[in-house]
Amino acid sequence: MRYALQRLGQFAIVFVVVTFIVLVATRIGSEDPVRDLAGGIASESVLAQVEADYPYLDKPLVVQYGYWLTDFVRGDLGRSYALSQSAVEMFQQRLPATFFIGFWAIVLGLAIAVPLGVYSAYRRDGWFDRITSQVSFGLISFPPLVIAIFLMYLIAVRFSFFPVDSDYVAPWDSPIRHFQNFFLPSLALGLGLAAVWSRLLRADMILTLQSDFVMLARAKGMSPRRVLWGHALRASILSLVTSVALQMSGLVGGAVVVEQLFALPGVGDRLVFAIQSNDVLTLQAITAVLVGIVVLVNLGVDLLYGIIDPRIRAARAMR
Amino acid sequence: MTLTDTPSDTVDRPVSSEVPPAAKRQRGRPSWGLWIGVVWLVTLTFMAVFADQLPFIRSTSRVKGAGNFAFGPGAEFWFGSDQLGRDVFARCIYGAQISLRIAVFSILTGLLVGGSLGLAAGYFRGWVDRLVSTVIDVLLAFPALIIALLIVQRTDSLQVSYPDTFGWLSRTWAITFVLALLAIAPLARIVRAQTMSLREREFVLAARSLGASNRRILVREILPNLVPAMTSVLFIGVAVLLVAEGALAFLGYSVKSPTPTWGLLVSESRQRIAEAWWATIMPCVMMFMTVLSFNLIGDRLARRFDIREATL
Amino acid sequence: MTPPLQTELRVAEGALLEVENLVTHFRTPRGLVRAVDGVSLGVERGRALGIVGESGSGKTVLSRSIMGLLPRHGLVREGSVRFAGRDLHDLNPKAMRSVWGREMSMIFQDPMSSLNPLMKVGKQITEPLTVHLGLDGQAAVATAVRLLTDVRIPEPERRLEQYPHELSGGMRQRVMIAIALACGPSMLFADEPTTALDVTVQAQILALLGEQRRDRNMSLILVTHDLGVVAGHTDDIAVMYGGKLVEKAPTKTLFTSMKMPYTEALLRSIPRLDQPSHQRLAAIPGRPPDLVNPPVGCRFAPRCPVAQDRCRQEEPPLRPAESPDHLYACWFPVGSPEHARATQGSQPVSVASPARGVEA
Repeated sequence: MRYALQRLGQFAIVFVVVTFIVLVATRIGSEDPVRDLAGGIASESVLAQVEADYPYLDKPLVVQYGYWLTDFVRGDLGRSYALSQSAVEMFQQRLPATFFIGFWAIVLGLAIAVPLGVYSAYRRDGWFDRITSQVSFGLISFPPLVIAIFLMYLIAVRFSFFPVDSDYVAPWDSPIRHFQNFFLPSLALGLGLAAVWSRLLRADMILTLQSDFVMLARAKGMSPRRVLWGHALRASILSLVTSVALQMSGLVGGAVVVEQLFALPGVGDRLVFAIQSNDVLTLQAITAVLVGIVVLVNLGVDLLYGIIDPRIRAARAMR
Repeated sequence: MTLTDTPSDTVDRPVSSEVPPAAKRQRGRPSWGLWIGVVWLVTLTFMAVFADQLPFIRSTSRVKGAGNFAFGPGAEFWFGSDQLGRDVFARCIYGAQISLRIAVFSILTGLLVGGSLGLAAGYFRGWVDRLVSTVIDVLLAFPALIIALLIVQRTDSLQVSYPDTFGWLSRTWAITFVLALLAIAPLARIVRAQTMSLREREFVLAARSLGASNRRILVREILPNLVPAMTSVLFIGVAVLLVAEGALAFLGYSVKSPTPTWGLLVSESRQRIAEAWWATIMPCVMMFMTVLSFNLIGDRLARRFDIREATL
Repeated sequence: MTPPLQTELRVAEGALLEVENLVTHFRTPRGLVRAVDGVSLGVERGRALGIVGESGSGKTVLSRSIMGLLPRHGLVREGSVRFAGRDLHDLNPKAMRSVWGREMSMIFQDPMSSLNPLMKVGKQITEPLTVHLGLDGQAAVATAVRLLTDVRIPEPERRLEQYPHELSGGMRQRVMIAIALACGPSMLFADEPTTALDVTVQAQILALLGEQRRDRNMSLILVTHDLGVVAGHTDDIAVMYGGKLVEKAPTKTLFTSMKMPYTEALLRSIPRLDQPSHQRLAAIPGRPPDLVNPPVGCRFAPRCPVAQDRCRQEEPPLRPAESPDHLYACWFPVGSPEHARATQGSQPVSVASPARGVEA
């Protein structure tokens, strides 16, 4: 427990540093901070509004950050004057789509990678292993972008079941339509993830399967299925879990690209728009939320280590 | 866990020293995958470097009558022609020049900076390590895409606002800078891990017991042993950066048209993929083959020098 | 402590294991490795056999080959292994799995790496109980507690919930024994069970094994490089060298009237308490033979002090000595004039009291 708090503290520091840098990067050296926060809109009323909402724009950046952070913690993520919308509203509308792309991508990736990795290691150098290795190697060399294009061309254009111009439908509203809209984009990202992860898992499994305790499990007369899934898998899963955490940051980028391609209404194009029009507040809000997600996932993975391996749990308890 | 040094090729072979090592693939004989990679890269590099001299590579200017995807792949235009009548094959080759140059330069710069950081952190440990590790964590926490887009945006406006000082800061430079920056953290982390494990090896301890200075140890003992692993990471890194550049180009944030990069070529003709598939697919294939080649070589090197999968 | 179930497979007395001419070769790029080259032996119900040899003698491969644990890839396995009257070669993998852990068990050398580090000790013990014997949760736990008590582990209930790394080396080995004994097997293979343990713990573990053997009327095959370990804990001893069986005898006979110079050299190499200190250790010179290209003739000849020309040309067959139980393979064994000439001046091996571990 103490360890968890320690890590949380460390991650909080990272979060603060990152969001501070973003604030500095966006507000530094700007001649007219009010205009910047207004998102490039020049109308008098808007500028006045901005001045009223943010009276401290002439103070040093550290102070500005302090205000931003307190706002953030209290739930005020800023607003986009250009689009007359509070950031929170924007997230409510758009975050689910991006989230689900990422979420299903991870789920798909794991669902494909784990059985593949386990079986390839079990029947090492067999035909299954060889084919899977080649295919996953090839997949790694495909940028998600290209996979997405191929998927779109081969499937969406040919089979009308999958729409080319997608829409956001919540899974609880209509599971089928949710599937229709999210399957291809998530698959585009998930395949690449599955390729990387199955190779990682295979490598670790092969090492684990050579170890003594696996031999003992066999000598106890346990079936291959039990040995593989009950004994060997747990010991081999650490690299995979690490990779899930590492891939988060890249997943964000991938989701943005895929969103654009499939025209899903996610956070991605708001982000691009914010960068283009220098909509500082939106930019800060989106970055903060994305960084927060990445950081939380990393924390979760770190805690997961302790759950998976009792030796790590013990070592941490002693610190 | 008792781990054998030489990987056995079957499940649960007994690990006792009495049992002989199982048949493993001959290390000396490279697999066909490696050959494909090498051949492709050599051919591509050759063509890219000597593009101007080679007769079968046209210039990338428009050809009359070839506009609007008039030509599919064939004798006249190997990869077909694009919207504006340009030879897709030529654009691919010239695109190779740009894409490769960016990727290679970026990874080398990234390795220089990130590698130094990782080396310092891994070797000196203590506060240096804590500091560098925090920096790495912060860098890694930034969604890469946001950094990339931001920096490109900023350099664009800098170029516009201050043309005298920043006129040279073309998109090419901006992209190179961005990619190098993004490569620093993962590379630092890998170098740090390698250094930490090398540090504890006997030959380093031996050198230290003979009174060698830190600098000497770093240069004479550690660096040479890092090189093999780093070449593998370099190759894989180039592959990753090529992909990243492609993604950025797709979003419109890479080198500007008409300068071709593969990502740009893909995104340019994407709308018309149904009727003129070649303009999009061929650059895709080029990118795929090149990325695959780098991956193949990098992977082979990694297995040769027995390091874990470099997860960039 | 009676074993739980008696099936018709279990032989109450007489020969339990019969190994005839077992050959185990591995196909490798270097060539065919002749790890076990025609070994025959037998073990009766309730008796203990020690298999002794250096590293590279093939003893571990032998034990695993008998049990059938070696993977099939690149394996050449000939000869017959009959367990309780059934030829193990005939069994398909599924049938073998019901033999493993149930009729035949094995314990390994290093308990730290042989126990699953991520699984609670209790689960590792109850696993064979639920899978092989079909015990339900409660019954399995109760049996596990009983087993832990049998192997003399204090506070057994608490141990069930612990992980291997929380236990000491000796306790881990006891846990491994408990796992092996869980389903009441009629034969136990112990592969270097004490090599990774402290000397004091070694004695305890060996005593435990002996006790369990007697209580359960279980056969034991003890594989080790340490003659001291087998001295007090086995009924018969088989000495292996270079993949072949070179001497086999009841334990006492082996120690009092060994025939093979190799056995003699092994005995002589054990350091003894009553030797003057700082005395040179009598190691056996040379290295174990290359199993891909074993020497022509007797495999021990290159290192044997008694070796004559005949030894280098003709491989000696396994012949009985004075008693029919005692087999050896040597042209010039201990007691022959050539042997006396060759070993003139070297210390006689006094075997009235081998180094350690002698029990009445």
